Amino acid sequence: MQHEREEDVLRADIAARLAAGLQTQTAPLIENDRQFAELLASLRGLRADDVDGKLKLGGFVDHPFGGEQMRCQECMYYLVHRKWCDLPELALPVEPSWWCRLWRI
Amino acid sequence: MANLLWLQGGACSGNTMSFLNAEEPSACDLVTDFGINVLWHPSLGVELGDNLQKLLRDCVSGAISLDIFVFEGTVVNAPNGTGEWNRFAGRPMKQWVNELAKAAQFVVAIGDCATWGGIPATAPNPSESQGLQFLKRDHGGFLGKSFVSRAGLPVINVPGCPAHPDWITQIVVAVATGRTSDITLDEFQRPRTFFQSFTQTGCTRNMHFAYKVSATEFGQRKGCLFYDLGCRGPMTHSPCNRILWNRVSSKTRAGMPCLGCTEPEFPFFDLAPGTVFKTQTVMGVPKDLPTGVDKKSYIALTGAAKNAAPEWAERDIFVV
Ligand code: SF4
Ligand code: SF4
Ligand code: SF4
Repeated sequence: MQHEREEDVLRADIAARLAAGLQTQTAPLIENDRQFAELLASLRGLRADDVDGKLKLGGFVDHPFGGEQMRCQECMYYLVHRKWCDLPELALPVEPSWWCRLWRI
Repeated sequence: MANLLWLQGGACSGNTMSFLNAEEPSACDLVTDFGINVLWHPSLGVELGDNLQKLLRDCVSGAISLDIFVFEGTVVNAPNGTGEWNRFAGRPMKQWVNELAKAAQFVVAIGDCATWGGIPATAPNPSESQGLQFLKRDHGGFLGKSFVSRAGLPVINVPGCPAHPDWITQIVVAVATGRTSDITLDEFQRPRTFFQSFTQTGCTRNMHFAYKVSATEFGQRKGCLFYDLGCRGPMTHSPCNRILWNRVSSKTRAGMPCLGCTEPEFPFFDLAPGTVFKTQTVMGVPKDLPTGVDKKSYIALTGAAKNAAPEWAERDIFVV
């Protein structure tokens, strides 16, 4: 399906950007809901097609993160079959082994 | 014939509205089918002034036998314990409550305000409000821990903000028809028949709870409201998805999180900004986990559920 192909292409493109060393803001970690809401508000300020902006602000990395090995696979927003981040402010194709600061379980 | 008296303290009348909307049985059925004589009720009573005072005094003295005393709203103690902020029929309401509760065979607290203080008792509780036998989770309240009515029961608590119409009338009928032995109460004196299961019992979003698919906006047809929108369904004792509201729906069915209104802490987190309709988390993990589940098991469960989630769980499946 066309739609799925587009998502696959974008996912591969994001993977390439991350692999090439795109610097993203992985700190500070989100500790509570107030900080979560603030980050969401900043993300809402971006254009929906500003993929780089979302990756940077979200603090995306292409590997599990931290001592607890947090990753999209267990995140509440991850749709396993579509390999998709369903958080409206991100709404991006992702890989299960990635992570971002919006992670929650 | 059972005489019922209904008074209202610090309240919004929500439970009265709920009561008047009851269907199974209705408020009229109480009178016509179950022999309940409504002595007085704030929206139905005809006596005023001296006549009302006389009626209340007769209930206290025993000249009129008071079978069921229903109280809606908080007991207001302000200012400085006098109760003057809530005067009724010539004196502070708290004095009537004290005397009528002692005179009644059964005392029934309807709604969160009467049961545990509800919204008026939220910090800093300017009206010095108390529930009849609880203040939030603390046993005691206005009548004290050891209070039992003449029939030997503590206050029967029917919480909710408001309580569902049928919880109210069904409990009143059970009491009026002498079926109190059928009413067993839980640790918060709520009838088990209504408050043993959780709001989540019968929720149409259970599969999304199980497969950890989140609803991220109100009214979304896909997803469970626990993960983002603060649904308290897994830790709230209520039959809201068994005894439906208006016979057709419930909050969670309509895409609105359960606020936990039948629990003593309601409103949770004292309504601090950012705590309403928002799941509170610490480093991405919910602060309040489903009753009986610890953090370690929750994380393990989430991993397993995500791995097992079928494809359909990710689609919008609630098509009306
Ligand atoms: S919020 Fe972040 S960690 Fe969670 S699925 Fe989306 S990208 Fe992955
Ligand atoms: S919406 Fe609420 S009650 Fe329904 S399954 Fe989710 S957490 Fe439970
Ligand atoms: S769904 Fe929750 S908040 Fe709504 S009435 Fe039921 S217990 Fe109360």
